[in-house]
Parts: sequence; C-alpha cells; structure tokens
Amino acid sequence: MPMIKVDHLERDFVQQNIHWWKRTSTIVHAVRDLSFAVQPGEIFGLLGQNGAGKTTTIKTLTTLLLPTAGTAQVNGLDVARDYKAIRQHINFIFGGELGLYRRLSARDNLLYFGSLYRLPLPTLAKRADELLALVGLDNEAERLVETFSKGMIQKLQIARGLINDPSVLFMDEPTIGLDAMSVQNLHKIILQAKQKGTTIVLTTHYLHEAEVLCDHLVVIDQGQKVAGGTVAEVIDAGQKQVPDTAITSLEDAYIALIEGGGTHDPRHLGNH
Amino acid sequence: MIHVIWETIKVQMKNSWARPMFRFTLVASPVLNTVLIYEMFLHSGRHDATSYIILGSGLMGLWSSICFSSIGDIARDRYMGVLPFLFTSPSNYNLLIVAKTIGNTVLASLTLVISAVTAAGLFRLTLQIPHPGLFIAALLVTIAGFIAISIPISYLMLLSRKTGLYMNVLDIPVTLLCGFVFPLSMLPSWTRPISAVLVPTWSTRLLQLSLRITPDWPAWRTTLLWNGGLIVVYVGLTALFWRVIEHRVRQQATLEVNE
Repeated sequence: MPMIKVDHLERDFVQQNIHWWKRTSTIVHAVRDLSFAVQPGEIFGLLGQNGAGKTTTIKTLTTLLLPTAGTAQVNGLDVARDYKAIRQHINFIFGGELGLYRRLSARDNLLYFGSLYRLPLPTLAKRADELLALVGLDNEAERLVETFSKGMIQKLQIARGLINDPSVLFMDEPTIGLDAMSVQNLHKIILQAKQKGTTIVLTTHYLHEAEVLCDHLVVIDQGQKVAGGTVAEVIDAGQKQVPDTAITSLEDAYIALIEGGGTHDPRHLGNH
Repeated sequence: MIHVIWETIKVQMKNSWARPMFRFTLVASPVLNTVLIYEMFLHSGRHDATSYIILGSGLMGLWSSICFSSIGDIARDRYMGVLPFLFTSPSNYNLLIVAKTIGNTVLASLTLVISAVTAAGLFRLTLQIPHPGLFIAALLVTIAGFIAISIPISYLMLLSRKTGLYMNVLDIPVTLLCGFVFPLSMLPSWTRPISAVLVPTWSTRLLQLSLRITPDWPAWRTTLLWNGGLIVVYVGLTALFWRVIEHRVRQQATLEVNE
C-alpha cells in the first residue's frame, strides 16, 4: 500500500478583487486533476515552476488545506476526514526563515513544538539535544533564534520537523537560500531519515538536488502533472517532447516538459 | 494535556514579555491611565472615585494587554509562520488558544497592581478593601470573564488577516461600553444592551460591589449569575463555532500571510 495516494486532486482558491465600488472574486485553479502515489520509505520529489501547485499539494497533504475535489490519503487516512489521526505521524518544513518563535532559544523552540506531539519530557529533552547535535546547533542551543543566520534557522527548522520522528516528512524547498556546505549537510540528514524508514516528500527548484535525492518524482505545470516516474523515466518523457534534441539531464527534461506542456492558464475562470 | 497547557502558557509569557510593546502596555500604560483617570475624577466629588481610578486604569490595561496580545498573537503567529504548525499539531488548537489566553491574562493582571502602586505613590490613594475574600473572588471571576471573552475573539481572528484592524477597533469601545472608567449610567441608553452582553461589564460591577463596606448580597447574586451565565454562553458558542471555523480555515487558507 502506498504511504501517500493522491487521486484526481483539485484545489481552487477564491481571489478577492476589491474595486472602489464593488468586490469581485476570481477562482484560481492551483491544482488540477493531480494523481500520484508515494511508496513507504522513499524520497519523492514535486517539481514545478513558481505557482505550479507544489506547495498547495503539500499543504493539502499536511491537512492545512481541504481539497476542492478528488482525494488524498496519507497512510491510508483521508486528509479531509481523518486529519486528526494523520497529524500525529507527519511533520513538515517550509523553506525560508518562518516557522519558529524568534524570541525563544533554539532549544525552547524544539521543546515547545515537541510538547505539542505529547512526547514525555525526558524523551523530548533527549531528542531535542540529539537533533540539535544532528543539525550542528548543539553549541547554539540557548541562543535566541532572532540572532541566527538564515542557514542556522533552516537547520533548526529541520530539527523541528524531525522532533516527533515522523513517518512522513514534507519538505517545501528546504534548501532555499542555503550555502553549499549547509545544502550538503541537509542532504545527509534527508538520506539518514530515509535510511530510518521515513517517507519524504520534497519540493525543490534545484533539479540537481532532485536528481541526487529523489527515488520518484512528478513534474507539475500550472497545477497539472506533466510527467512522473523515476529520474530516468522523466528524462525519457522530456526526450519525447523534443525528439530532435538530446536530453541527458533532469534539467533539460524539465525545461522540455514545461515548455511543451505549458498550454493552460490556471488563473482563469471568470468573475462571480 | 496538562503538559501542553503548561508549556503553552510558559511560551506565551516568555514571548509576550520579550515584546517591548507588551511591556509598555503592561507597565507604562496603567501608570498613564491612572494619571488620566485621576484628572478626570479630580473634581467629580464621587465617593467611589478611587475605585474608578485604580480599578479603571487596571482594567483598561488588562483589556489592552489582552486585546493586543491574545488577539494580536494570532497575527504574530501568522507573520512568524508558526500558526500552520500549531494548527496542524496533534494537540487540539482549542487547547493552545485557551492556554495562550490564560498566560496573557495572568501576566496582564499585573496592570491592576501597577495601577494601585501608581495611585498610592503619586496621589496617595489606596483602595479600601473591606472584604478581601470577596475582592479576591471577584478578581478571579473577572480574570475568568476576560479569558472567556478573548477566546472566541481569538478564534474569529483565525478567519481574517486583518487582526491589527480588529484589535484596535475593539480596544477603546470595550473600555467605554463595559464601564471600566466611568459609570455606565453616563452612556446613552441605547448602549445598555451591548454593555449587558459583554462579560467585562459584569466583572467590573462585581469588583465595584466587592469594595462596599456592607455587602449587597442580592446585587452580588445577580451580578455573579450574569458573569457565570455569559461565560457559559461564550464557551458554548466557541465550542459550537469551532468546527465551522476549523473547516473554513482549511477551506479559505487564512493561516498564512498573503504573498
């Protein structure tokens, strides 16, 4: 049984447009008819341009958003209906500097977010220390997060994401803005988590990263899947888009797929 | 569950105290309010002026702290990007909001002490408390009432990103409508129904009653019943609306700032 099953998922947003005398709304189709499956213990990549629907998909899978249509399941549980049961077993990391209490220390952040998963205090304190050491922040544990660099914040985010030892970890552009050393360190942590059996769903704009880490991936364009499979299968799919050009890397394939598949306007559908 | 509540209260207090604006609202604001209300009542000739000066400025500070913290915390959590993590944690988000509100209200109760100290230090005014037991009971009911009113407001703030606007809109009107700084009889009669459904109105009344030398038991009973009844109504409505709010939050994606 797949750990994650997304079946004809659709997600619309209502965008309000305020004028002087009236308010209109536009429906934006962020995700359209998206289907894929993620096997237990694999690293699965979601690739796509900005606004392609990757983050919306992750937010739906992490129970932050309700699907507009279609279904999504995590460990056999429906994200719309069984969201409380799902939350115990997952965690997520968003790229960037948000997601932590900046006026608390690194350790206090981990202890607090860990307490939300109802871990016993001794276990939690031990786990927080282990994770701080894992991400290389053990010497900065008592420093306030507001004094941290971007890279340090991102490392702490990763520790926060692992605090409940999740079965599924969602990572939305986790390496954005990190230096080469930090990226390499993060890749090691991701692979370690995989070795422990954690299923990882990753979005990234760095195609080399996807090539190195992902067992399977899907390429999304304007809310729709344009290709999916192993890296080799996606490269094949890209080659089919441009038979006259030799496609040898995921990056070439990705560009071919996006340029060949970008025929829809996701921000369409009229006023209400 | 107790551990989650306790940790949330601790984190809330640390976070609030770390904010200069909160410290200003908590410490400087009651001092300034005490001076202002003292000047207002200076030539009023009212026998209960001292209670309005001390309790009024304390309650004003308490409400402002709650308004700008319990309600503003939703906005701050949203801007810091922690709201999605709190909302999707296995701990019930209701519990977290309750714990945050308790943390803020308990910390904000310090405004009452600061007002009393200011009034004593600057104007040699002291609050005569003939029945300390009754006063403490009234104070506890007041804190419960303030917690009860700020929880549903916090919930509603989950649905909107305009929290800054709402907390500013709520601050002064509640102060006026609940009679913190002057008797409600001074307001036009059409405001009475609004005052009556706000639990701080009855909390303030209870505090005033607790300062009487001879307790007015029938008035105590009525006021206590209003307090208790409104707290139950607020909690009931909150519980009733929570499922709807939770659903709408997931439907409308209001947990994060607009990009």
